[in-house]
Amino acid sequence: MTDPLVTVDDLEKYYYENDTLLDRLTGAEREAVRAVDGVSFEVREGETLGVVGESGCGKSTLAETLMRLREPTGGSVTFDGDPVFDLSGTDMNAFRRRAQVMFQDPFSSLDPRMTAGEIITEPLAIHGVGTSGERRERAETLLDEVGLSADQIDRYPHEFSGGQRQRIGFARALAIDPEFIVLDEPVSALDVSVQAQVLNLLADMQAERDLTYLFIAHDLSVVRHISDRVAVMYLGEIVEIGPTEEIFEDPKHPYTKALLESVPRADTDERDRTVETIRGDVPSPRNPPSGCSFRTRCPELIQPPGLDLPQATFRGISEFRTRIENGDIDVDLRWEQVGDPDREDREAFVDSLREEAFDTELPDAEEETVSEAIRALADGDRETAAATLRERYRSPCEAIDPGLPAGEHPSACLLNEQPEDVETAREEWEADYEAPEAGASSR
Amino acid sequence: MISPRTLRNLRSELSRSLLAKLGIAILAVILFTAVFAPLLAPHDPTEQDLDNANIPPLGFTATENQTTSQMVDGEVQIVEEEVVVNTTVAHPLGTDSLGRDVLSRTMFGARTSLLVGLFGTSIAVVLGVTVGITAGYYGGRIDDALMRFADVMLAFPSLVLAIALIGLWGQASLRIPDPLVELGIASSEMPSDIVLPGTVIAVVALVNWVWFARVARGEALSVRDQEYVKAARSMGGSDLHVILRHVLPNSLTPILVLATIQVAAIILLESSLSFLGFSGAQLSWGFDIAQGRDYLSSSWWIATVPGLAIVAAVVGINLIGDWLRDALDPGIEGQGGAP
Ligand code: SF4
Repeated sequence: MTDPLVTVDDLEKYYYENDTLLDRLTGAEREAVRAVDGVSFEVREGETLGVVGESGCGKSTLAETLMRLREPTGGSVTFDGDPVFDLSGTDMNAFRRRAQVMFQDPFSSLDPRMTAGEIITEPLAIHGVGTSGERRERAETLLDEVGLSADQIDRYPHEFSGGQRQRIGFARALAIDPEFIVLDEPVSALDVSVQAQVLNLLADMQAERDLTYLFIAHDLSVVRHISDRVAVMYLGEIVEIGPTEEIFEDPKHPYTKALLESVPRADTDERDRTVETIRGDVPSPRNPPSGCSFRTRCPELIQPPGLDLPQATFRGISEFRTRIENGDIDVDLRWEQVGDPDREDREAFVDSLREEAFDTELPDAEEETVSEAIRALADGDRETAAATLRERYRSPCEAIDPGLPAGEHPSACLLNEQPEDVETAREEWEADYEAPEAGASSR
Repeated sequence: MISPRTLRNLRSELSRSLLAKLGIAILAVILFTAVFAPLLAPHDPTEQDLDNANIPPLGFTATENQTTSQMVDGEVQIVEEEVVVNTTVAHPLGTDSLGRDVLSRTMFGARTSLLVGLFGTSIAVVLGVTVGITAGYYGGRIDDALMRFADVMLAFPSLVLAIALIGLWGQASLRIPDPLVELGIASSEMPSDIVLPGTVIAVVALVNWVWFARVARGEALSVRDQEYVKAARSMGGSDLHVILRHVLPNSLTPILVLATIQVAAIILLESSLSFLGFSGAQLSWGFDIAQGRDYLSSSWWIATVPGLAIVAAVVGINLIGDWLRDALDPGIEGQGGAP
């Protein structure tokens, strides 16, 4: 196995809201947005590591922090043995030459007032490489290499198509002969037909120049052909990382499985789908769920010891509980729909909400618990309603924060192999389960 | 910095817009007049001729206010004397109360207005853009501090601020020998100096830079989030590199448009200052208006002619500003894009 070129260790980037002078004077609590929440991985020399996640999962922040375009709030990045966040002066300059970024937006990544030639030679000009004549020659060569023609050197970005602009952006990243390129969603903004061409170009250049790539995308299908390994990100954390083929053939984390399900694949028959695709929105990184951050949407949410419901039923009840906890159910509106302004007919309220939330029958015991919760809700007591459900349906996934164990293909899910400390915590939790303390699992 | 495409836009907008042509024509005439005033003016603008005071413009009638009273049939009758001028073209726009030629004065007055407009705006642009881009690019505390200061400046009425500053600094001005007179191209009877009203220029710049700072800051704020700025930083570009190479060029269009508007505003401010007697300029449209104010009822032309000159200059410059705005705004490259 080749050596790592880039090692990311427990990288953390929080943004703080309510952090202006005024907020501090008024004593408003500062709120952390956990864009990148403790991420560790390495990029090996000559490989392509794909990083995949929905928008807002922190993958772009990860890229920018890793390149030190933003200062991290914790953790470290090592580039070929050098600690990136401690570099300065000539060492920093060297890093800025050896590592480059290619950006996502074909429109805003190129300065509209510079010609293609000026854009491509900008890194050379910054580092004072060559005379302006030499730099121009270099730009012409690069234009040819990325599939444009040298006589387009004096054109402005608006005279190129989206795909051509991305080629120019790539030529700029190549100009100074880097070893490592962060590709920040380089084809997301392009048509599918153009995507393939640009991806091929990226792959060809990598082979030709021994480049190492960190390839960021929001779509698994894009990284499949170019990546050697893939890391899947969710809410600022890596939930699974492993060799590309294994990720696609044998995904371990429910989130990865769901992502794969949502990618239309020719070789999967509709009926073969075993896992429901993910529902609901990504929770806010301001207030990530306790325990496993995927638990609010996880189709395989683990049931507490002693409970053995059909998974769909358990998931339905859990989602209902999340709605109550988040205050997503409008009690006033529901009463209006029931048509009882005096709010006396609680049973009508229960039926109405029960009807709306579950489209199937529930086993008797569950029916009873759910109705009890709804009755509390009808009285306007959201806390009791939530507590009633929490009592019976508390999943280990909300108490234990899964981690990413060592190994070639780890995943951060309690269903899979977990690091020692997580296993221990889970055992303790299960031992305690029979006597849950009130409020121990508040979200 | 000006791309061929921008030039193309300017040209096509110009051919489309009659008003733009008009604006350029007006400004060209004023500019020409200002530069060649010693050659074009029929008289020395400072030469007094009390025998020929208060002559109205060619073809106009003036009513002398010197009334004589007569006894007619036992009643007092007031007779007003009517004077009809002008059979000669010696004073085509008449003379003022001291017999100075109004046309010549207005021609020379253009020099003061344009000098103040040009230099005042340039200084304001440099000052405002430096502050604004620094604030917008760095953001945070620097931004807060600079922009709070700018807001305070804005809170003062500009005329009051200007007068206060002049009171503080006095009226310094620089006399530059007029090359046309020095080299003997123009008659040596013309004033031999061009007066550069230094204090006034500094003051109008200080009063107006805030506008540029605000616009430049807004532009810098939006440009700094563009990916090409991130890209330049990821390549190792210094702040100075990023500002000079990316932020400034991409902020320039609205600043340019604002500059044309501010030239007009500054010319007006200079006139107000001269009118109020604060600028110390003796050959200026505002000064002439102040002089003519006392004679408005009898000799309206003394104030009206320079007044019309101000209007023409302001309108002309604003038309050019509109042209620039229309030509450059859709020309912010990157919106349309090639297919
Ligand atoms: S830990 Fe639980 S909630 Fe998280 S992914 Fe695994 S099963 Fe789903």
